[in-house]
Amino acid sequence: MTDGTPSRRAVLGAAVRGAPLAAVPLVLAACRGVQVLGSPPPPPADIRALSAAITAEEQMVAAYSAALGGLPGGDTAAVLAVRTVQAEHAAHLLQLKSRLIEPAPHPSATPRSVTSPPGSTASILQGLEQAEQAASDRLLGQLHALPPALAQLFASIAASEATHVPYLQQIPGAAP
Amino acid sequence: MTAAVVPALQSTLAAEHSACYGYGVVGAHLAVGSAALSAAAEDWIAHQRARDALTAMISDRGGRPAPSAVAYELPFPVTSATTAAQLAATMEDRVAQAYLTLVALAELELRMFGAEQVRTCALRAESWRGSTQAFPGLPPASLRR
Repeated sequence: MTDGTPSRRAVLGAAVRGAPLAAVPLVLAACRGVQVLGSPPPPPADIRALSAAITAEEQMVAAYSAALGGLPGGDTAAVLAVRTVQAEHAAHLLQLKSRLIEPAPHPSATPRSVTSPPGSTASILQGLEQAEQAASDRLLGQLHALPPALAQLFASIAASEATHVPYLQQIPGAAP
Repeated sequence: MTAAVVPALQSTLAAEHSACYGYGVVGAHLAVGSAALSAAAEDWIAHQRARDALTAMISDRGGRPAPSAVAYELPFPVTSATTAAQLAATMEDRVAQAYLTLVALAELELRMFGAEQVRTCALRAESWRGSTQAFPGLPPASLRR
């Protein structure tokens, strides 16, 4: 039904038809937002390295939680040792996060859930040992991109993670 | 090369000199033929090698490597195999801290050398202590709360 008043569609259509040619792209662009600036620059190398280290530590804490769930019941020596090392990873995570001023590009507030099926103490510890050595090496590989204080923190954490390997190996039931 | 390089190398060399001295004390309190004495001898040699490497690095940069002192004050009395092991672990902690000064340098080669040495010291400390540390070489005051 029309009462002589032009419809909204007709007004919009007339506006576009009547607009100067140069203004049409602007009208169209308004539908998807004007790109005033280019895409934001990627974060600097030290922020990327820090974010990666935070994610790695979160995964390590989760891996130890999974290991605790998978260790045979009654293996108190292994449980105590795994809890001790997990606490050190939690301390690493806290220090790394305290160095990140801006939010991580890919916040991982909920660490990836890692489930570990029940297994032998030896196989679980062996998996953790391999992860520790790899984590230590990875941190040292990032040193070139870091400012001095952060490089010292990475080097210290890398050293700590390397020491977890012989520490886990000396637990009764660990693979020789 | 920045002006901070040679002083950082000198302070690390001083730490290695004291470790070389300290392992002599450690070895004197360990039983002949024991695994601990073998480990101490191995660690002593490793510190001598690191000391020589640092000496060469300083000379290569035009510095004069500081000589070792005649003797060093021990952080606590060493009277047994147990306190000898504690001394070894304590020395490794302190040498690791010295190497962290190299990690703060901009020269990548020295930074990597320092970081590898921090790791090696931490591994030796773990073997003497039987336990690990969350932040080897970092003084607690440097950690954020």
